[in-house]
Amino acid sequence: MSYELRPHTADVAVAATGERLDETFAAVADGLAAATCDEIPRTGGRFSFTVRAEGLEALLFDYLDRLIYERDVRGVLPVANEASVREDGDEWVIEASARGVPFSEIVARDVKAVTYSEMRIERTEEGWKAYVVLDV
Amino acid sequence: MTTREFDGIRLERVREHVWEIPREGDMRVPARVLASESLLERIGDDKTLQQLKNATHLPGMTDHAVCMPDGHQGYGFPVGGVGATDAEHGCISPGAVGYDINCGVRMMKTRLTYDDVRGREEELVESLFANVPSGLGGGGIVENGIDTVEAVLSRGVDWALEEGWAVPDDLEHCEDEGRRPDADPSAVSQKAKDRGKNQLGSLGSGNHFLEVQRVTDVYRDDVADAYGLEPEQIVVLIHCGSRGLGHQTCTDYLRKIEKRHGDLLSRLPDKELAAAPAGSELAEEYYGAMCACINFAWVNRQLIMHRVRQVFERIFDRSWESMEMHLLYDVAHNIAKKEVHEVGGDPQDREERELYVHRKGATRAFPAGHPEVPAAYRDVGQPIIIPGSMGAGSYVLRGGAASMDLTFGSTAHGAGRLMSRTQAKQEFWGETVQDELRDQQHVYVKAQSGATVAEEAPGVYKDVDEVVRVSDELGIGDKVARTYPVCNIKG
Repeated sequence: MSYELRPHTADVAVAATGERLDETFAAVADGLAAATCDEIPRTGGRFSFTVRAEGLEALLFDYLDRLIYERDVRGVLPVANEASVREDGDEWVIEASARGVPFSEIVARDVKAVTYSEMRIERTEEGWKAYVVLDV
Repeated sequence: MTTREFDGIRLERVREHVWEIPREGDMRVPARVLASESLLERIGDDKTLQQLKNATHLPGMTDHAVCMPDGHQGYGFPVGGVGATDAEHGCISPGAVGYDINCGVRMMKTRLTYDDVRGREEELVESLFANVPSGLGGGGIVENGIDTVEAVLSRGVDWALEEGWAVPDDLEHCEDEGRRPDADPSAVSQKAKDRGKNQLGSLGSGNHFLEVQRVTDVYRDDVADAYGLEPEQIVVLIHCGSRGLGHQTCTDYLRKIEKRHGDLLSRLPDKELAAAPAGSELAEEYYGAMCACINFAWVNRQLIMHRVRQVFERIFDRSWESMEMHLLYDVAHNIAKKEVHEVGGDPQDREERELYVHRKGATRAFPAGHPEVPAAYRDVGQPIIIPGSMGAGSYVLRGGAASMDLTFGSTAHGAGRLMSRTQAKQEFWGETVQDELRDQQHVYVKAQSGATVAEEAPGVYKDVDEVVRVSDELGIGDKVARTYPVCNIKG
């Protein structure tokens, strides 16, 4: 699993890959953290949550949106993300966890929101890849 | 006819600074780019033109979609985009407003001159940085919980007045007197309110800033007099928006619209353009929620401005009233507003219609005499504030006579970015930029990190002088005065 921050005129994009959807989603989430903060300390406790959505793209959108919400409300940067993605009837579900680094321990920028613009989730021979533009 | 082509998109030159992408395929109207040849080169560099073409697919689009001279690629709708849709038969699109609802700029005047500030810049920039919350998790000036957020969403700057954070004169010099009457706080989600309750009175980060500036040039004496601006005067510029509350509201409604109006969405070229049909329940809800977020952003900038008054009082050991620290004006950059405009292609068939005018990275620019211009400025036109980069000047303009015909009463909102943040960090080193600005241009910058300074370095932005020149020559926003940075704080 890996991610890369890609240039965008006004914003920042994350390109992520993984053998499985779980890893790819978690890698995008780690990309979100990297777009927020350059140096991440090994502190903070883990928290978990579940998100359900009507499709895979919607699930990725809602997952990242939830991380941004948790960030603002808990006052921590979610890092070291782990995720488990599955289909449940006509819905997709992600059970996720992250380590929350307190804001007081980092210097970070505010990633405002996740966008659908140019969003891609594709199956490849090696696994899955995803591309997301973040509003900064 | 002069034509230009970028990535297969052909533009025809209609006249000086006006380029048109003719209607084709599913475009409902043509698209127009207002730019000089040099600005058009930059606009053609990324996906701005494709995003502008996509925007013309929105139902009820009227006359033409327009890209301002500072336009650049965003997501869905381009930054610097203006699109007007029929308020009865068209749609309203959260993506055409943007995530940072009522991200905007306000300028406060002072009676101080540059001589009063010179030599005290370090003290001033340190004190402003220490007293105005910025960055991620910087908190707010007021952190009183959900009840406060509800009152702010509903009453806007009226709330700030009641709580002692504003004076009546502030309201008289703010668009809509600082309160959107259509605000519906119940349409703003709990999630959004949770995010907003700790951020009221904070700059945020990215390109948001607070800058002390001096007026360097006056181009129109009569308008500058009416605005109370003169050379060497110190002014303060505040650029920020509705913070997490607004971002969450846009996100919430994009998703709600996607679920409820998927049929409309499937006919649009970009999911980020999600739109609710005019008259639908969601259109009304989003409009009410967006207006509430507009109120929040106005209060956000009001609180920061009032805190700046207190900082100046301590530094200069005088009351802010004696320094005449009065609001010049507050303009929104990301907004959709119901407005009545004369529309229709044929001069004899033009008629007045109510529209949702979406301005995403664009400024309303109503001319003299328009009834929605505050009484204080009705004779000369609405003030427009166009910030440049940390190393370039900013401008004060006034709404131009041609704006109603060309741009639904709009003009540019800034210099417009040239390069990505990634590239900026490769090309610039924050500390070096900071040192050069101080030593060579006498601009004192303090930011949360060197990376922020690098990402916002002067070389990252387009030439604001050229953007303003085009606006002035087109008559959509007339150049009144130029200002230059003295101190700048960034999140």
